[in-house]
Amino acid sequence: MTGDDVLLRVEGLKVHYPIRSGLVLDRTVGHVKAVDGVDLEVPRGRTLGLVGESGCGKSTLGKAILRLAPVTEGSVYFDGTDVATLKGEKLRTMRRHLQMVFQDPLASLNPRQSVETILTEPLKAHGIRYDKATRVRELLDQVGLPTSAALKYPHEFSGGQRQRIGIARAIALEPQLVIADEPVSALDVSIQAQVLNLLDELQERLGLTYLVIAHDLAVVRHVSDEVAVMYLGGVVEQADSDALYATPRHPYTKALMSAVPVPDPGVEARRERIMLAGDLPSPADPPSGCRFHTRCPFRQETRCHDERPQLRLLAPGHRVACHWAEEIEAGTVRPHEVTAQEVADLQGS
Amino acid sequence: MTRTTGTTGNHPGREPLLAVRDLRVEFGLRGQRSTQAVDGVTFDIQPGEHVGLVGESGSGKSVTSLAVMGLLPRRGVRTSGEVRYDGRNLLDLGQSAMSKLRGRDIAMVFQDPMTSLNPVVTVGVQVAEVISRHNDVSKKEARDRAGDLLKRVGIPDPVRRLKEYPHQLSGGMRQRVLIAIALACNPRLLIADEPTTALDVTIQAQVLEVLKELVAETDAALLMITHDLGVVAGLCDRVNVMYSGRIVESTTRDVLFSQPRHPYTGGLLRSIPRLDSPRGEPLHAIPGSPTSTLPWTQGCAFAPRCERVVAACTDQPPALTDEGIRHVRCHHPLEPTDPVTDARSEVAR
Repeated sequence: MTGDDVLLRVEGLKVHYPIRSGLVLDRTVGHVKAVDGVDLEVPRGRTLGLVGESGCGKSTLGKAILRLAPVTEGSVYFDGTDVATLKGEKLRTMRRHLQMVFQDPLASLNPRQSVETILTEPLKAHGIRYDKATRVRELLDQVGLPTSAALKYPHEFSGGQRQRIGIARAIALEPQLVIADEPVSALDVSIQAQVLNLLDELQERLGLTYLVIAHDLAVVRHVSDEVAVMYLGGVVEQADSDALYATPRHPYTKALMSAVPVPDPGVEARRERIMLAGDLPSPADPPSGCRFHTRCPFRQETRCHDERPQLRLLAPGHRVACHWAEEIEAGTVRPHEVTAQEVADLQGS
Repeated sequence: MTRTTGTTGNHPGREPLLAVRDLRVEFGLRGQRSTQAVDGVTFDIQPGEHVGLVGESGSGKSVTSLAVMGLLPRRGVRTSGEVRYDGRNLLDLGQSAMSKLRGRDIAMVFQDPMTSLNPVVTVGVQVAEVISRHNDVSKKEARDRAGDLLKRVGIPDPVRRLKEYPHQLSGGMRQRVLIAIALACNPRLLIADEPTTALDVTIQAQVLEVLKELVAETDAALLMITHDLGVVAGLCDRVNVMYSGRIVESTTRDVLFSQPRHPYTGGLLRSIPRLDSPRGEPLHAIPGSPTSTLPWTQGCAFAPRCERVVAACTDQPPALTDEGIRHVRCHHPLEPTDPVTDARSEVAR
C-alpha cells in the first residue's frame, strides 16, 4: 500500500523482553518475543483495527508505538519523525500528538483526582494555556457528559461514563493519533454500542486517526477501515475491513472468524466451523517457520515448518503471510483434521 | 438431536427437572439497607433441555444460579421462594443433604477456572475427589476414571496432566478440567456460569464444543448463564432474559431472536456489532447504564432507558404476561412483526 498521507508507519518493529534467571548472576536466559517484526501503515483520518487473541502482542505493539514499552528493533514513523529513537524533551513533546485510551477505565483514572483535574492535567503537563472552566466544559460536552461531572470523582460514575472520561482525557491535547486498547471489552453489552458510536463521532468531528486494538472481531470490524490480524507477535493478514471479513485468506483468520458466535440461531446452525485444536504456543519459544503451522488445518509437509512466510500482496490492499494462500483459495490445498495431541507434540509442551 | 421446544414452561403431563418458583434473594445485614438481587424469578428446566439465562452485570443471573446450588452465604442473605428438584425444595435442604446432591445431581462450571481450582492440589486428585465422594470406588479406580474424563474433554496426554497443578495448564485446559469435574458423576443438570467469558474466541469455540458434546452424551440438562447472545444462539433451546433481578422475557430461542417483544431484548440485539451486519452505520445504542433503574415496585426497572416508555411504565410495575409462545414483562412491547433482525438476516444470506 502506498498511501501518500500516512500518519503512522511502523517498520520491522520488535519488542523482546528478556527472561532473567538466577538471584546473584542475573543472567538472561532467553527472550519473550512479544512483537517480532511488524510492519503497519495508518493513513491520516482512518482507523486501523488490530485483532488477535491474548498473548499475540497486540497491546505490546500499541504500547511500543507510544514508547510505553521498550522498542528492541525497528522504527515507528509518526508524521515522518522516527518516534522509536526520540529521547527526553523531544519524546515528551511528541507524545502530545499520540494519546491512548485504556481498557479498564477505573484502573486508568486516578481515584483521588476530580474529573476536572484529570482532564486538565495533560494540558498543564504540556504547558498549554487554557481557560479551565471552558475547556473542561468543552471536553465533557464532546464525550456526552454533563457539566456537573467536572467536580465528581471516578467512583461516582458507571463504567460507560468512566470510559467517556478516559476518552475526554485522551482528546484533551487535540492529538492526531489515538490508540484505543480494548476500549469496550470491560463494559456491559448495552453500553459498548454507546462508546463505539462516540469514538466514531469524535473521529468525524476532530479528524482523528485511530489504532483500535481489540480481541472482539465484530467490534473491530465495526470501527475499522482496515484490519490487521496478529498471531504470536506477527501480522498474518491485513486488508480492508470489508474484504477481510468477506474473504479471509489466512487459515488463522478463517478459523478466528468462524469461532465468533453470532447472535442469530439461523446463522449459528448453518455456518461451518473451522475448529482450532490446542493452545497458543509460548512466545518465548515460538514454532519455527510459520508461527501458526503447529495448529494450522492446512499445514503442508514442505515450507510451513522451516520457512517463515512474509506478508505478500494477494489482491489490491490485501496482504497475507501464508505460503499456500493461493492454493487454499483455489481449493487445491484442503484442510485436514489436527488433534490437540498433535499440536502438543509439535509445540513440545 | 431434536428437542421439544414448546411453549414457555407449559409441558402438560411432564414433570420439569428443576422448577424455580418466585425465587427471591435479598442481600444486606440487619439494620442495613437491603438489596433485592433476585426479585421473584420463575422458570422451568425440562430433562435434557438447554436453557439460557441472559443478562448484564448486576441483573441477578449469577445469584440465581448460586441460590439454586445452595452456595450463597448464610449471613446477610435472605432467600425465599421454591427451587423444586426431584420432589424436594432445595432451599429447605440442610447442608449435608445439599452437598450430597451437589456434584452428583446438579453440577456447576464457574467462570474463572483459575480461582475455582485448588492451586496446591494436582488436577488428578481434584477430579478423582468428586468421583470417590459420590461413588463407592477404590482410589485407583477413581484415578483411572479421572484420566478417562480428561481424555473425554480433549486434554492431550491425560496421564501426565493428572499429575500437574492448575498453574501448569492453559486457561482453556483449566476450563476443560472444570467441565470434567462437573460431569464426573453424570449429573442431570449442569449449571454453567459464563464458562467461556475468560477465554479467547478460538478456545471458547473449543470449550463450547466439548460442553455441547458431553451434555448431549450424558443427556444432562443445561442452564447456561451468559451475557453473550451469540453463545445462546448456538446452544440454548429456551432463553430467559433478566433485567435488574427479574425475568423480562422468556421464550424459545428462535422466537427470541426473530421477534423479540421486550424493548430491552430488542435493544440488545440491535446494539451488538455483528460480523455479518452492514458496516458504516452507527450502532443502535441503548441509552443510560444498567445502574440507572427504577425500583420494580414503582414501575418498570428498564423505563429510564426505554425508548418505548409510556405513562404506565413509571407508575405501575408490569406483570409477566403469558402470550402463548412467550412470556413478556412490558406495558408497551415491540410488535411481534417489527423486523428487528430481518435486514441483518438478509445480509447474512
